[in-house]
Amino acid sequence: MLTSKTFLRKTKKGNILKIVREHYLREDIWCGSKVCSECCAKTDDQVLDENPTIACTKHNYGHYLVLDTNVVLDQIDVLEEDVLKNVIILQTVIDEVKHRSSTIYKRLKDVIGDGRRKFYVFVNEHHQDTYIEREQGESINDRNDRAIRTAALWYQKHLKAFPTQKDKRKGIKVILLTDDRKNREEAIKSGLIASSVEDYVEQLTDAKGIGDKLSKRNFTSDISEKDATYPSHLTPAQIHDGIKNGQLIQGSFQASRENYLEGQVNTEKFEKPILVQGRAGLNRAIDGDTVAVELLPEAEWTAPSDIVLQDDETADPEELNEKENLIKEVKVVEKRPTGKIVGIVRRKWRQYCGILQANPMVGSVRNIFVPADRKIPKIRIETRQYELLVSQRIIVAIDSWPRTSRYPLGHFVRALGKIGDKETENEVLLLEHDVPHSKFSDLVLSFLPKMPWIITPEDLKQRVDLRGIDICSVDPPGCTDIDDALHCRPLENGNYEVGVHIADVSHFIRPGTALDNEAASRATTVYLVDKRIDMVPELLSSNLCSLRGNEERFAFSCVWEITKDAKIIHTKFHKSVICSKAAMTYEEAQNIIDDKSQNHSIAVSLRGLNSLAKILKRRRIENGALVLASPEIRFQVDSETHDPIDVEAKKMRETNSMVEEFMLLANISVAEKILQEFPECALLRRHPVPPLPNFDPLIKAGRNQGFEIDVSSGKALADSLDRAHKSDNPYFNTMLRILATRCMMQAVYFASGMLQQEEFFHYGLAAPIYTHFTSPIRRYADIIVHRLLAACIGADKTYGDLLNKQKTQECCHNLNYRNRMAQYAGRASVALHTHLFFRNKIQDEEGYVLFVRKNALQILIPKYGLEGTLYLVPATGQPTANFVYNEEDQSQRCGNIVFHAFDPVTVQLSLDRSNVQHEKLVLKMVKPFIKDFSVPSVQANTGDAVASDDKMDLDVPQTLPEVETPSKRKESETETAQSKKSKKKKKSKN
Amino acid sequence: MDLISDQGLRVDGRRAGELRRIRCKLGVYDQPDGSAYLEQGHTKVLAAVYGPHQIRGSRTKALQDSVVINCQYSMATFSTGERKKRPRGDRRSTEMTMLLKQAVSAVIKAELYPRSQIDVFLEVLQADGGNYCACVNAATLALIDAGIPLREYVVACTASLANGKVPLVDISHLEETMGGPNLTVAALPLSGQIAVMEMSQRFHIDHLEEVTQLALQGCRDIYKILDKAVKEHLLETGDFFPQLESN
Amino acid sequence: MAHSIRLASERVDFSVPSDKAPPQLFTPGMVISQESGFMRGHGTYGEDDSIKASVAGIVDRVNKLVVIKPLKSRYNGEIGDVVVGRITEVQQKRWKVDTNARLDATLFLYSVNLPGGELRRRSVEDEQMMRKYLTEGDLISAEVQNINSDGSLSLHTRSLKNIKYGKLGQGMLIKVFPSLIKRQKTHFHNLPCGASIILGNNGFIWISPVINAEEEHGGFTINLEDAVPKSVREVMVRLRNSINALAASKILLFDTSIQYAYDQSKKYSVVELLNPEVMLDVAVMTQHQLQMLE
Repeated sequence: MLTSKTFLRKTKKGNILKIVREHYLREDIWCGSKVCSECCAKTDDQVLDENPTIACTKHNYGHYLVLDTNVVLDQIDVLEEDVLKNVIILQTVIDEVKHRSSTIYKRLKDVIGDGRRKFYVFVNEHHQDTYIEREQGESINDRNDRAIRTAALWYQKHLKAFPTQKDKRKGIKVILLTDDRKNREEAIKSGLIASSVEDYVEQLTDAKGIGDKLSKRNFTSDISEKDATYPSHLTPAQIHDGIKNGQLIQGSFQASRENYLEGQVNTEKFEKPILVQGRAGLNRAIDGDTVAVELLPEAEWTAPSDIVLQDDETADPEELNEKENLIKEVKVVEKRPTGKIVGIVRRKWRQYCGILQANPMVGSVRNIFVPADRKIPKIRIETRQYELLVSQRIIVAIDSWPRTSRYPLGHFVRALGKIGDKETENEVLLLEHDVPHSKFSDLVLSFLPKMPWIITPEDLKQRVDLRGIDICSVDPPGCTDIDDALHCRPLENGNYEVGVHIADVSHFIRPGTALDNEAASRATTVYLVDKRIDMVPELLSSNLCSLRGNEERFAFSCVWEITKDAKIIHTKFHKSVICSKAAMTYEEAQNIIDDKSQNHSIAVSLRGLNSLAKILKRRRIENGALVLASPEIRFQVDSETHDPIDVEAKKMRETNSMVEEFMLLANISVAEKILQEFPECALLRRHPVPPLPNFDPLIKAGRNQGFEIDVSSGKALADSLDRAHKSDNPYFNTMLRILATRCMMQAVYFASGMLQQEEFFHYGLAAPIYTHFTSPIRRYADIIVHRLLAACIGADKTYGDLLNKQKTQECCHNLNYRNRMAQYAGRASVALHTHLFFRNKIQDEEGYVLFVRKNALQILIPKYGLEGTLYLVPATGQPTANFVYNEEDQSQRCGNIVFHAFDPVTVQLSLDRSNVQHEKLVLKMVKPFIKDFSVPSVQANTGDAVASDDKMDLDVPQTLPEVETPSKRKESETETAQSKKSKKKKKSKN
Repeated sequence: MDLISDQGLRVDGRRAGELRRIRCKLGVYDQPDGSAYLEQGHTKVLAAVYGPHQIRGSRTKALQDSVVINCQYSMATFSTGERKKRPRGDRRSTEMTMLLKQAVSAVIKAELYPRSQIDVFLEVLQADGGNYCACVNAATLALIDAGIPLREYVVACTASLANGKVPLVDISHLEETMGGPNLTVAALPLSGQIAVMEMSQRFHIDHLEEVTQLALQGCRDIYKILDKAVKEHLLETGDFFPQLESN
Repeated sequence: MAHSIRLASERVDFSVPSDKAPPQLFTPGMVISQESGFMRGHGTYGEDDSIKASVAGIVDRVNKLVVIKPLKSRYNGEIGDVVVGRITEVQQKRWKVDTNARLDATLFLYSVNLPGGELRRRSVEDEQMMRKYLTEGDLISAEVQNINSDGSLSLHTRSLKNIKYGKLGQGMLIKVFPSLIKRQKTHFHNLPCGASIILGNNGFIWISPVINAEEEHGGFTINLEDAVPKSVREVMVRLRNSINALAASKILLFDTSIQYAYDQSKKYSVVELLNPEVMLDVAVMTQHQLQMLE
């Protein structure tokens, strides 16, 4: 069965090694065709049709397709079209694709995995007849091309033996698709049928629009220097040498959101990122790419410009004002290492959502695509469907960026739907934030418990029966996924018994099942304003796991004995059956507590909890826990259209904080327990102490207002924030806390074995150790923690991956990524709804200046939780009012009116819909009044707001830096119920 | 890189339950009482057995009711990708020596040779994963060649777990380094007893059983190959046996 | 002679073709018989009511006794065997002798014919003189006198009639598997070709020039003065190579087979006899000649 062949490989590892590996060639690799009677493959593995039909004018006979590597790499979008079937993917191709691009590899695997597509993987490298050795002097690419041809020839010969009914005596043909002319010629010479993808696809009769998806990779290399817009990139060898001898620095490129001609490269070599500016400096790098940078001489170093600059529609090839726009005179202190990008090490292109730019030329196939993400440049695409697509949100992929082209070249992938349509917009923001949101597959659903679900006596035997105890849950109104409930009862010795009962999700989601894998991949439930994207199917999230009132449910309980002054005597964990006596809202619970006439058990329980919670909170704050702030709003959504009708700020009640305190306590207790039992693989959450420079903006802002912010420790920061109050500006403290929030690092999950104990610290909570245990319905981390805890107390078995710290860490990476994306998506959703809200409105609102920039003011409007840039200098034309920027104390002066940070202003909000493709929220200054600049308030003027030049771009999620941002705060500081739940209730309106 | 592809093939083209090619030869040397050479894939080892013989050196080592088994594991300096500094004496070799002794002690009928000594020398000529297994298998052959009474063969095999679920047998060096826990079992294939079991990292209890079973199956497969080689070796020596009978 | 280096793949298969049916082979752990009532002999052991093989070889049943004979093993002595051995140690009143058995054999001082006659008393002086007679590294021929309880052998070198035991002088030693030596009435031969040979049952073979003179010193003096003539040496070397050729092909060694092999080797030079193909040819021809004899 085995034959063996060895081949030699040389690798460099300091010195040259000769690596000899075994390579077994087999007889039992089958062709995978249903027509074949020679191969003894199982029927499941016979993927390819016996009568392959595809409407093709040129190749109107039954055939299979064989692809070469570049076809897969470049034309994956075409391959994803259902029309292409019966394709043979060779091992050689898969290996090369995997090596070259992991994303395309993943997509290819998805296509192969789709049974309807009939893609068969032929392991030609291990087939005894199709394996070939590399010949003397043959390059690897040539060898692989030859291997592909050999395999195709094998197929041709093999299939000849099995004539199909349709093409009598001829057998199924094989067509080699390759865009490499040389390869095609060689193939034809050896008797194969070969075609380029473009030729082949154009012959297909029932595949409309597929031509748009063809990648436009331009191979022309001879460009005269005159035509080139960009300097040429160095060759990979040059880059490699350059990096090795230190002339070049490798790093990841991060484009600036505010200025399309600026970006930075994060490197390991420098603490600060390297600044890159200008078209030539950026040299075709796209956000995320790994690039090679050459540092400029120190004399040419600059600082990031204070200017907000966007690539306007007016295509201006000259770019005369480009340099002007960049900052000229820079203070020495602020100078940063500046460089220019000379080569791309690795592209990190993905698919981008966006819209087509209006094209005045009717019928032109060449169009410009504007991505939704401002960090991505516009993309030039060719499409014949302009009329259809111009009003749609579409997805586009980049193919190449030649030196002569101002924009990268790309191709159309698919359309999402009409612009402005809420479904489409939601789809866009889910896609842009990589949120998995497809329906749960049947396979996943098959692991759900069968209904009707009943509690069996066996279940009861393994659980503590707490059905007799008065347990209640407190949540926002309309919450359907109730994952926590509480109880509190006095004990005979005068202490309290307090229990936190968490939905026992891990009972239903068993490790290793498709359901588990799906939940692990989704990692979190994503809350949009009008939609909830569940992590687990609804049956679990809203029914079986949800601790609804007066229903018997499984719970994981954490029960403490606590003294009256909130000292924990002991803690125990067990699985239980509970029956919540009441599912209340915060308001209801608050009313019960406040209503002294009510003295039933629930009321007593709540009051006990409340008093303990107050002590706990005080103690926590004394320990240095931070109370941060972010503008939080809630939309009142129309029940029919799901359009927002009104906006309100969230209210905080005592009960919010009550629930929060006990969730924190439970989380900390569980974290201690699982760490003790599993010192290597406990899943914990940490919040790193921010590096001191992070606080600079906060300290500066405080100092300008006459407050010293002490950031030497969490406790000091908390205290100095508490002291900073201004009587004339009640919102000042909140704004300061908003700023503080932005200085924070991101709280992250990690496996305990990967870090030192000191690094477990949670800065925001001032807790030495922390984890997530209390929301397993909507967070996967909690499920893992549940499993760990269950294993600790012997209630459940462990399994391999649970005890593997590498696996846990991998899982944490995914959780962190998904959480971040979920937050961005949530914020983008708020922004989207703000746009919808302002569609037909013009409103005056109170706002505060958050930052003062050189040409703009950053304004925060608490009522809507918005933050946006207000340009003081119009992008085009003459400034209408003369503002003077004072860098010293961060102010803008116009006449005798001065704007400082934290100053209150009144602004007028309206939506600029003049450009269908990109709606913008526009803002005009109302108060204080500046001549030729401000506008009268709405009441006085219903004039044309759109015409105003000083517009403000409302784009909350994107203007925030990627540090601890408003809704991240939940995790860092309050870590709980209240805020997340306020999101949940949005679902209720549906 | 995946240890096992979607098509069920491993990096070198084997399926999950397939062994590498095993080639072996008994009686490769005249000087020792028994010797053998064995290749398992690219792992190549030589084994030589001396004895049973009078205990050399200190007589106090002698056991009154059993034989003294002396093992030595060494790796040729050229056996690995990077040249090794010294062939034996490092921690890993010492451990290997100990485990080898444990494996061969399990089968040698030691009670037959009180106060004697048996030396088993193993030299890895090329290391490509499963060195220990190849050594145990070669040692068995050399012991048989030396005519030393054995309870039965002792055969060793490795197994691992790919992608956390697919058990693999007979792990090559590449697969060893690519990760995954690694289980080595030395077993008596006929009776199914396990002489030595060693894990490179922790296995989860859920997987241990199936991985062990696969390793044992590997041992049985290797046993068949070795047994065939022994019989062929006996036959190759011409009509020596018929002559004996007529003797 | 130039060095001859060849690849493993070119190795010569020394097996001599045979027309006999292959015998049934047993390997360690295989069940020989499930029936009870058999006696377990060498190379077997009992487990779970069955007899199993412990070595690889063929079965030999003598009445109720079941024995597995391995191809090769250490020498298992029997009383009366002629052995050739090497002194490894000199102890109180005895010598230790390596006889290719699992334990060194003992040669007691009183089992040795000392110069001066059969009935000489062994005095303390003799004990002090032991090293004079035999010292570490000396080769002797002897007979197995007794098998001790621990399996070790006791030897004696008291020569009888024409058999000459004792210290060996000029000559050469060949080691083969003990099982290759055919048991015969005499293991001392003066071959017609002009050399003397001792076929030790332990697989040690001693080739020496023909000894003719009956000397009376109990075999403790050896004559290292006289140079052996080249012609005799050539005979001895040819003999050695012929024996090695037979041993490589596992042909039993006794005077006739050795003599035949010697005769067959005549067509080659002594040096050519080291060549594997030539060795095989000699073995095949000898085998053929032996079969003719039957």
